[in-house]
Amino acid sequence: MELIIAIFIGLLYACGVYLVLRRSIIKVILGIFVLSNATNLIIFLAGGVKRNGKGFIPEGSETIDPSLISDPLPQALILTAVVISLGIAAYILALKFRYFEVTGTHDLDQMKNNA
Amino acid sequence: MEVLAPILIPITYIALALVLRSKMLKQTLAVIFSVLNFLVALYLIVLVGREHIIVSNIGSWPAPYGITLVADRFSALMLLVSSIVFLATTIYSVEAIDAKRKENGYFLITYGILAGVNGSFMAGDLFNLYVWFEVMLMGSFILVSFGGEKLQLAGAIKYLILNLISSFFFLAGIGILYGKMGTLNMADISIKITQSAESLSALNPALVLFIVGFTIKAAMFPFFFWLPASYHTPPPAVSALFAGLLTKVGVYALIRLYTLFLFQEDSFWNPLIMVLGVLSMVVGVLTATSQTDFRKILSFHIISQVGYMVTGLAFFTVGGLAAAMFFLAYHMITKTNIFLVAGWVHRQTGTLEIKELGGILKQSPAWAAVFFISAFSLAGMPPFSGFAAKFLIIKSGVLSGHLFVAMVALFVGLFTLFSMVKIWIEVFWKPSPALSNANEKAILPDKLMLGASVFLAILIVAMGLFAAPVVEFCNGAAEDLLNPEKYYSFILGITK
Repeated sequence: MELIIAIFIGLLYACGVYLVLRRSIIKVILGIFVLSNATNLIIFLAGGVKRNGKGFIPEGSETIDPSLISDPLPQALILTAVVISLGIAAYILALKFRYFEVTGTHDLDQMKNNA
Repeated sequence: MEVLAPILIPITYIALALVLRSKMLKQTLAVIFSVLNFLVALYLIVLVGREHIIVSNIGSWPAPYGITLVADRFSALMLLVSSIVFLATTIYSVEAIDAKRKENGYFLITYGILAGVNGSFMAGDLFNLYVWFEVMLMGSFILVSFGGEKLQLAGAIKYLILNLISSFFFLAGIGILYGKMGTLNMADISIKITQSAESLSALNPALVLFIVGFTIKAAMFPFFFWLPASYHTPPPAVSALFAGLLTKVGVYALIRLYTLFLFQEDSFWNPLIMVLGVLSMVVGVLTATSQTDFRKILSFHIISQVGYMVTGLAFFTVGGLAAAMFFLAYHMITKTNIFLVAGWVHRQTGTLEIKELGGILKQSPAWAAVFFISAFSLAGMPPFSGFAAKFLIIKSGVLSGHLFVAMVALFVGLFTLFSMVKIWIEVFWKPSPALSNANEKAILPDKLMLGASVFLAILIVAMGLFAAPVVEFCNGAAEDLLNPEKYYSFILGITK
């Protein structure tokens, strides 16, 4: 399972980098979204992937096999990161919209000539 | 609890500004809260000066599990200097920012940046640091595009995309490091690295990601391109705030990380950091010489100055670290002040192209004097603070045996002087060209702007003339940084 996710993350990064290197701003922005999701998956993978692991240990049961526990913290981290990237996504799309309104282009090469 | 105050103050202001309707009241409160923030930082530095390090565990969760806020002497110094910079830019903005931007919540967003900056300086764990970085970046994204002019939007897109990519590097590093160490508390990671028998090289993939993330944020060679592409586009008061605060948080994070983790594998990291520092220094100053826009010249100088700080870190002696800290403090104040002067020039003449400018010395000797003090402090002329800062860097370089690097630093200082003299002659000294004679108008009201600028200028001179107490404080802070055992045993509550 880990290997599949790792390969998948690699693919996502490749797609993200490809999109970021495009000339159209909208594709660059999509690339940013893909990269942010790939990064979130890295945290998920680093925390260990386990089926049916216990996230919380009920009070009183002191002896529990460590191999049965799964770590809930990475999910909390990802949740925070997802919320942040959601806010940024909303902002970056608004910025793109405004830029298109003002300049009438979404070509990054045009930006170089204008600015 | 005292540690929480620098974060609570900006958040309280943001909450108030969202509720209040009166524009006048919001503006007055913005100034009052920035004074309050300054006073709290002053109180903290006195407290930390006595106790060396204070810590607060949010929600009373003990250190490696909960969110930890730490203020040691280095953090306290940074908090104080950033509060000074923030105070000056807020007072300056009251006059310099147009009514429309103020109506749309200019002060509110600057307080967002302040919350992020203050939080980053005190974050005790890596993920918390990331979150505060994002808070700061979110505020800066909005400010850099605030107003929606064409040039500004183009700058904002470049700024935004490159900074987001640096955040991904940082976040990926956090993920991988967590997988390896099982903890994110910086003190806890540091102690685990010290105690483990294995070498640090297993952690290097994660640490490289951190370093790339921070070097982008600090605008170091080879990742500095976003800074000169975006810093000259927003209103000058915003550039001043950015120049004073944003990249310095990256440098702070780099120093913190280096002194807690990276020094354990000095032979790998030290030459790398040193080379990056020296190259930033040289490339920044050389590219600045070919620019003709007032703010662009200054933006390139930020890169060069960040190089000095990082070089100071790479010497990795008490003297070198203390010099880096002194340099950080002096640079934040001086750089902000020059950007403030540029803002006034822009408001007065409508341009910052130095070829079209001239005659400011005749028009306003007071602003010329403020510029003179800041610019020659930046170039490292005595008796200003820049002299002490550069002297400390070069001295610690010579003492730690890096003679060549010290020579490069001297050489770069010469080029800084060249750029500053260029601005001085073109903008202030030479007679006003016929082109701008036509729109030479009466000086707009600028008492508050000048007041803010003079306040910073006085600090620059004072830091130069009475450098000894500041250097002594920096020395103490550097000793703490070189002794991470003190840091982690205090935070984790280990008593010997």
